[in-house]
Amino acid sequence: MSQILFTNQSLSVHNLADVTALEMQRLSPRYAPLNLLCGTIFLLFLLTILAAIRWQTWLTLPDWYLHLFPLIFGGLVAVGLLWLLYDYLADKRKGYAVREQDLSYQSGLFFQSLVTQPILRVQHVELKRGPIERKAGLATLQVFSAGGSLYTFAIPGLPEADARKLRQFILSHSDVSQDG
Amino acid sequence: MDNSATATLKLAAEPGQWQRLSPVAIMYFAVAFIRALVGNFVYLLPALLLSYNKIKQNPQLWLPALGALLLLCATVGWLKFHYYRYRLYQGNLQIKSGVLQKKHLDLPFERIQNIRLEQPLFYRPTDHVCMLLDTAGSAKQEAKIYALPKAFAEQLKSRILNNRAGAEHQQPQTDAVEQQEQLLNARSTKDLIIHGITSNRIWLFLGGLAPFYDNMFDSAAIWLERLGVDLQAMFDPATQAWWQYGIYLVSLVLLLMLGLTLLSIGGSLLTFHGFRLTRIDDRYIRRSGLLTRHEVSMKLSRLQMIVAKQDWLDRVLGRINLKFEQLNASFEHAGAVAVTGKLMVPSVKADECEFLMADALPGNQLADITFTPISRRHILRTMLLPTLVYLPLACIMAYKQLWPELMIASLALFTSAALLTLRWWRWGYASDAEFMYIRKGLLGIDRYCLPIHKIQQTRFSQSLLMKRSGLCSIKLVLACGAQTIPYIPSHIGHALINTALHKVEREKRPWM
Repeated sequence: MSQILFTNQSLSVHNLADVTALEMQRLSPRYAPLNLLCGTIFLLFLLTILAAIRWQTWLTLPDWYLHLFPLIFGGLVAVGLLWLLYDYLADKRKGYAVREQDLSYQSGLFFQSLVTQPILRVQHVELKRGPIERKAGLATLQVFSAGGSLYTFAIPGLPEADARKLRQFILSHSDVSQDG
Repeated sequence: MDNSATATLKLAAEPGQWQRLSPVAIMYFAVAFIRALVGNFVYLLPALLLSYNKIKQNPQLWLPALGALLLLCATVGWLKFHYYRYRLYQGNLQIKSGVLQKKHLDLPFERIQNIRLEQPLFYRPTDHVCMLLDTAGSAKQEAKIYALPKAFAEQLKSRILNNRAGAEHQQPQTDAVEQQEQLLNARSTKDLIIHGITSNRIWLFLGGLAPFYDNMFDSAAIWLERLGVDLQAMFDPATQAWWQYGIYLVSLVLLLMLGLTLLSIGGSLLTFHGFRLTRIDDRYIRRSGLLTRHEVSMKLSRLQMIVAKQDWLDRVLGRINLKFEQLNASFEHAGAVAVTGKLMVPSVKADECEFLMADALPGNQLADITFTPISRRHILRTMLLPTLVYLPLACIMAYKQLWPELMIASLALFTSAALLTLRWWRWGYASDAEFMYIRKGLLGIDRYCLPIHKIQQTRFSQSLLMKRSGLCSIKLVLACGAQTIPYIPSHIGHALINTALHKVEREKRPWM
């Protein structure tokens, strides 16, 4: 019974627009250093707390903490530095591509991924700018589809003007319907 | 019907007039209040039970108390009924409610995703129903019209649904109800008993009880002792032969499973009794329920995916649970709504399943398509974690010469390897011009059919190791959640994504 309405015209894959041949645009050159700075500040904050606990005078600490302190501190420094380095290199690799009909965002260093969002399926668009991003003149573009909040398409680290242009491009796209 | 006809007339004659509920609603509110009370004070029950004798001896105390409680329930019910008003106004459903805390809900028709009718037991004699309106957003936006005559509710429902379709789709509003419903599937009691046996609730139940096992066994032992059964002696290896011991154990387990299976069958009958799936135009309607009759309806265009689930026991008995997935049912409507609001046809036979699938998504080949297996590397990848846990443990055990422990650990590793291999073996994918098909599972088999033109977003991902061996994973996001196809050749992954995007962007067909 499943044959009745079934058509199966062959489509040559070679004629389709190819996601492997995307023209990737880099994020703002300020994005990776900024992220590195934020990460460093966070790491320093953690280290300061560890040290503050070690050398404060109000509480007596358990022995194991005093013994293991150099190990914990050193370990955190090593892991933190590795993490910062990985993040920095990964940030450098992030990029996005815009085609007539869809947006793509590429990320990851060891685990690489490419997310593609057809503009036709966009429900609404948001520009997000945290305090640090505002200072640096950057913005994050968030694109929501019916796929749910788990699958919000986001491009971080866009120069503000580009982000606005991109937002306008999506909103004025003929396929973005008003009612979703 | 004349009752409802006058009601419709009233509604049509006075557009925008605030309407009251039928007085039966007082009953509904009162019962809801009692439920809330019981829910909040359930921990007082043991205390009440302990002082049961004392209470029984003092009727002059508890009778007035009970009376007062009933009066309170009735008053609360009446007050809630009294302050509840609803109206249809300029394409909106508006509800004013609340005794102390006033609420005003404004619900545009086009935001209403789903309309369900529920009939609690005490609404049956007067043939009233409770109308539940789901919206796409959060569960908080759910609206309830507590008591309407059934026929009137049907008309109101079709009116809201038709109104929502907009001016270009104006139908005579009362016709939809009169139209013949086409029966797609009905479930007999036998089917439901099978469903009760095969559905996994037993194990969930066992898992949920885990924290209480100790207490349960203790009290069971005391209870059995009172009956003259000495568990201690029965399970004492010194006084019993091993085979007797084994028989006791097996019969105990069987007894337990029998009890739980009966519970599960009861649950299945309770939810699915009188199950009927019907179709009017492009709308599916499911009615079922032993005590409270539930009605769920779904516009066919909102269907995002079909899932045919078969547990191992289902496979033995040749049954399939067929699920019609709508919007985000998985996580945004979690809880009670998700269970009753889901469109599932329990334990159908293969031919019925094929018929239903062909009706919902014409042209799909889920029943007989050949699946392509995913790469064997998937086993290696999933074995990584168990092996990483096993190796250091095994080394320590070998060093400390803990041979039995080492054997158990090795056995666990082999079992997980066998299961992961089975899981890999179940994974498969296929596609044709309209649909993508995925098969997965462990002991059971779940098959998915997703219309390509409803895809919301795609994701192509690979680690560097996968890249080197030319593999990738793809994820297809739909409005009902995402489906992943792991460890397939990169060029196929790219081709699948390219074709999917092409189809979505070229055809521009709506997804709901």
